Amino acid sequence: MAAHDLPAPPLRTVPRGERLLAAYVALVILFLALPVLIVVPLAFSSDVSLTFPPRGVSLRWFANIWARPEFLSAFALSAAVALVATGISMVAGVLAAIAFVRHTFPGRDALLMLFMTPLVFPAIVLAAALALVMTPLGLLRSFWGLALAHVVLTLPYILRTAVATLSEIDRSYQEAAHTLGADRWQAFRHVTLPMLRPGLLAGATFALIISFDEFTVSMFLVGPGVMTLPLEMYNYSEFTLDPTLAAISTVLLALTCLAILIIERLVGLGKQFGG
Amino acid sequence: MMISSSDAVGVDLRGVRKWYGAVPAVRDVSLAIRPGEIVSFLGPSGCGKTTTLRMIAGLEHPDAGEIRIGGGLVNDVAPWKRNIGMVFQNYALFPHMSVAENVAFGLAMRREGRAEIDAKVAAAMAQVRLTPLADRRPSQLSGGQRQRVALARAIVTRPSVLLLDEPLAALDRKLREQMQVEIRQLQREVGITTVFVTHDQEEALTLSDRVVVMEAGRVVQTGTPAEVYERPRSRFVSDFIGFTNAVAGRIEAVEGGTATVTMRSGQTIRVPAEAGLAAAQAVDLVVRPEKVELNPPAEARPGRALVSGTLRHSVYTGAVTYHHVDIGAGETLIAMASNGDGHGEAPVLGSPVTLGFRPENMLVFASAV
Ligand SMILES: Nc1ncnc2c1ncn2[C@@H]1O[C@H](COP(=O)(O)OP(=O)(O)OP(=O)(O)O)[C@@H](O)[C@H]1O
Ligand SMILES: [Mg+2]
Repeated sequence: MAAHDLPAPPLRTVPRGERLLAAYVALVILFLALPVLIVVPLAFSSDVSLTFPPRGVSLRWFANIWARPEFLSAFALSAAVALVATGISMVAGVLAAIAFVRHTFPGRDALLMLFMTPLVFPAIVLAAALALVMTPLGLLRSFWGLALAHVVLTLPYILRTAVATLSEIDRSYQEAAHTLGADRWQAFRHVTLPMLRPGLLAGATFALIISFDEFTVSMFLVGPGVMTLPLEMYNYSEFTLDPTLAAISTVLLALTCLAILIIERLVGLGKQFGG
Repeated sequence: MMISSSDAVGVDLRGVRKWYGAVPAVRDVSLAIRPGEIVSFLGPSGCGKTTTLRMIAGLEHPDAGEIRIGGGLVNDVAPWKRNIGMVFQNYALFPHMSVAENVAFGLAMRREGRAEIDAKVAAAMAQVRLTPLADRRPSQLSGGQRQRVALARAIVTRPSVLLLDEPLAALDRKLREQMQVEIRQLQREVGITTVFVTHDQEEALTLSDRVVVMEAGRVVQTGTPAEVYERPRSRFVSDFIGFTNAVAGRIEAVEGGTATVTMRSGQTIRVPAEAGLAAAQAVDLVVRPEKVELNPPAEARPGRALVSGTLRHSVYTGAVTYHHVDIGAGETLIAMASNGDGHGEAPVLGSPVTLGFRPENMLVFASAV
């Protein structure tokens, strides 16, 4: 990027290959970002239909979100599910990572692979399986059923980052804590956990996003009164296709950017001080 | 306020063994470390020094044998209940804490009061001259400073035993020598029973009250630095501790505590016979270069063993010169000569010379073959 901003040195011509590469990269970025960026102007459109470019500017679609309580309650449910599922995944993931990294036991590698399978499993298979298991348990169409399903989906992300971070932390830190009088819990609490924090924060961010935006699995588990935001949006789009969806997407986009910024700041600062 | 412990305790190892799967790391170590003593474990890489130290710390569990600290059996006592201080080879300073927080950690774990912790931390930091760096992070310190933080952190809790695993290995030579002196002084002031792991023989000799030489998971010799250096009990120890001359020979006869040995070149010398040597046995003759004199004056010759040869080359190293002498049959003995006052010029290369040494300085070991 910077190369384009600088005035070219008088005698140096940019080789053709480099120019082609720059053009290619620009195209890929455009292709990835364009659909997302088109959503933003649409959200501020005054048109009733989805036309691009919009013919006028208005905030009516944002007002429409407020006017429809189902969006607000779906947002609240999705946020609650994401937070609860991520919280459970964090505790389970960190404990599992300690077992996998710090201890050897029969079947360790196989078990680690099993924990990671939701990453590669077709979501639809998992969805059907979870629905079948939850029906007899009475968890179908309930908050906790949804939250537990999301634990299954988010755990691999947390576990993977926790295992990676923990493997990087030399055992001697924990041992030093022990020789200084810290028992297992104190060594974990005061030494290992603070050193794990940046990795965990990254894993948690992934988990929150994965859960918040989950569709396939949730579709099998939601019901009246237990509706996630992506599904509420999908339901809405079946009957009405107006810029309300673009407005919601814009809000989510802004929230995601804000979250990433905050975490980047936290982790970035943490690295500066801790490194 | 000075941190010191008057109630030093001893450490006893009896028949301690440790295997990692099929790998014997420590085969059979028995050792009594006296209260207040500084002992070093010396030996080549992989001989089990770290493993033994970690068993004293409680970070590894021995497969067999007994470990006692202050008389009490600690085999099944967790490391955090042993009241030890340990300095790790990589220092293991907590990166997310300041220097002062690192030093305070052990006191905080012991739930001491804020004011007490502050006072002890300040004293320990002053003792290792770290006071101005209290608020720095470990990543903002030099190697020598990190080493001192690790030391302060380990001693501030007044441990009964201080364990150090090659704490100076990462430092350059000059800093290492400076830190050796500092550790020795600190250990004297504080009086903590100390175990020090190193594979640097010079460091072991400089720092310790006693040196424990290890080979392949066993203790092969324990003694004061002078004992271990002057009277190594095996070829392995003599090779490992200091620079030695070795030539092959064969015992002609043993009588009245004296062995007559013929070297490969045909020259014969008479040396004190160690127990277990018998006629016709193949042996290695080992002598330190500084015990061998080149062309000793006539009045110094009586009572010396003499060997003749040809001077091949002389290596000047500043304070001393090493003279390499061909004694026949392709074997070489090296004589060290001080370059201080009163030493004449070295003979011309290629000229015939005589080497003299006290017979008791020639060590005789059965050949390994
Ligand atoms: N955790 C472990 N798992 C398997 N084998 C080990 C382990 N730790 C040490 N060993 C083996 O045990 C033996 C003794 O190791 P130890 O670390 O005690 O040696 P050391 O004398 O400290 O060597 P160095 O001078 O290289 O540090 C070595 O053969 C080593 O490979
Ligand atoms: Mg070692």
